[in-house]
Amino acid sequence: MRAPSLLLIYSTLFFALLCQLFPWTGQGIIFRPDFMLVVLLYWLLRAPYMCNVGTAWVVGLLVDLATGSLLGQHALAFALTAYLALSFQRRLVLFSVLQIATYVFGLLFFARVVILILKLFAGNDAPGWHYFWPVITGMLLWQFLRLAFGSLARPKPSRSE
Amino acid sequence: MLKGVHQKLEPQQTPSFFVRGASPFSRMVFFCALSIILMAMDARLNYLSQLRQAFIGGLHPVERIANLPSEFIRDSAKYFSAHNQLVQENYMLKQQAFQHKVKLQRLNTLKAENEHLRSLLGGDIPIHPRAILGDISHTGRDPFRNVVIVNRGSQHNILAGQAVVDSKGVIGQVTRVYPFSSEVTMITDKNLSIPVQVERNQLRAIAFGQSGNTLDIPYLPTNVDIKIGDKLVTSGIDGIYPSGLAVATVTKIEQDPESPFAKIISTPTAQVSHHLQLLILELPDTIEADLKTQDTDKQEAVGAKTKKSNQKRTKPRASP
Repeated sequence: MRAPSLLLIYSTLFFALLCQLFPWTGQGIIFRPDFMLVVLLYWLLRAPYMCNVGTAWVVGLLVDLATGSLLGQHALAFALTAYLALSFQRRLVLFSVLQIATYVFGLLFFARVVILILKLFAGNDAPGWHYFWPVITGMLLWQFLRLAFGSLARPKPSRSE
Repeated sequence: MLKGVHQKLEPQQTPSFFVRGASPFSRMVFFCALSIILMAMDARLNYLSQLRQAFIGGLHPVERIANLPSEFIRDSAKYFSAHNQLVQENYMLKQQAFQHKVKLQRLNTLKAENEHLRSLLGGDIPIHPRAILGDISHTGRDPFRNVVIVNRGSQHNILAGQAVVDSKGVIGQVTRVYPFSSEVTMITDKNLSIPVQVERNQLRAIAFGQSGNTLDIPYLPTNVDIKIGDKLVTSGIDGIYPSGLAVATVTKIEQDPESPFAKIISTPTAQVSHHLQLLILELPDTIEADLKTQDTDKQEAVGAKTKKSNQKRTKPRASP
C-alpha cells in the first residue's frame, strides 16, 4: 500500500463527489451511502496529520451545495463527526478490523442523527427508518476502502518484515 | 504480501513541543460556530443564493462526467431495442397523433368561439402560456425534500416560480434556478400549496403538500360537497398556474367528530416517476409584459386588468 499523500486524499474525495453527483433515480436512492463522509472518515483516521476538522467542514459544505440543502447543515454534522473520530484516533491502532468497523458504524450513525436533528429543526418532516440505510451501505463502502488503501489496524508482528 | 508495509501510522496529537496549529476541540468549536452562522444566513437572509448558483454552474461539467455512464447505458439500451417494438410504437403514436389532431380541430374552433363570446361580454381573454420542454436529470439528492432536477436553467430563460406540468397534470413549481439546471419542487412537498377547484361544482380551495405523496385540503367544513373520485383542477387565481390543469383526484375523506373540518386527502394525477419529460410553463406576468410591448393600443385596458388580477393574487408559499 502507498503512504497516503495529499494528492491521493483529494483525488479520492473528488471521486467521492462524482459518486455523490451521480444521478440516482428510483428506489436505489434509499441505499446510497454518504460517499464523501466515508472517504473523509477513512483519511481522517488513516492520516490525521494531513486532514482535520477543517477539511471535514469544507467537505460538508460541498455536500450541502451538491444536495441543495441549507448551507452549513452537513458542514456542521461532518465537523462534529470528525472531532469525534479524531478524539479516539490514537487508540484505533490497537483495535481489530471488526472493532474499527463498529467504531465507524457508530460515527456514520452519529452523523446521520445530527443531520436528522438539524433537518427537523429546519422544519422538515421526519423520514422513516429507511433514512438509516446509508449507514449500512456506508459500512460496505468502508470495507472496500480498507481493501483498496490499507487497513487501519496495526499489522501482526509475526507478519512484519 | 501487502500487509505490514503500512506501518506509518503517525499519532494525531503531537506532544506540546511540536505544536502544529489549534487542537481538534478548538477547531471543532470554531467550525461549528461558522456553520451555524452560515445556516442562519442561508435560511433567513438569502445572501448565499449567488454563491450556490456559481457553485452549481461550475460543477456542471463534473455533473456531466458523472452522468456519462448512465447515459451510455440508456443510449445502448435504446440502440438494441427490437425493431418489432419500434414499429409497434410508431404505429401507436401515429394513431394517437391522428386522434389528437381531430380533437385539436374541434378545440381550435371552440377556442375561437369562446374568445369571441368572452370579448362580447367584455371579459378577459384567457392567455395560453408558452412552454419549454425539459428532461428530468435526477431526483433531488436530499431525502427530506420532494424535488426533481430538470436540465433547463437560467441559460434557457427559466425563472423561479414557473409552473411545471406533464401530460397528465401539474407537477409543481420551479424553486431554484441554476445556470444549466433548475430545481422543481413537487406539489406534494410540504412547503408548496396550490389553489384548486373541484371540477364538478367549481368549489375553490387550497391544497397543501403532505408526506406520502398526497395532497391535503384543510379548513373545509365537514358538510362540504366533495366526494371520493372528484377531480381537482387549478383555479388560476394565483397568477402562476393557468386555470383548468388537472391536479389531483380525491381518494379519501375522513370525518372526525371532534374536528369542525373534514380531512380530505387526494393523490396527484401527474406521474413524475413514469417518464422523463416535463413542460415548464411561462409565467403569466412575462406573457402580459410581452403583450404590452406588442400592441400599445390595448395597453391601458390590459394594465387595468392586471391591476385587478394582481389584487386577487395570492402569493405562493414556495421559497425561491
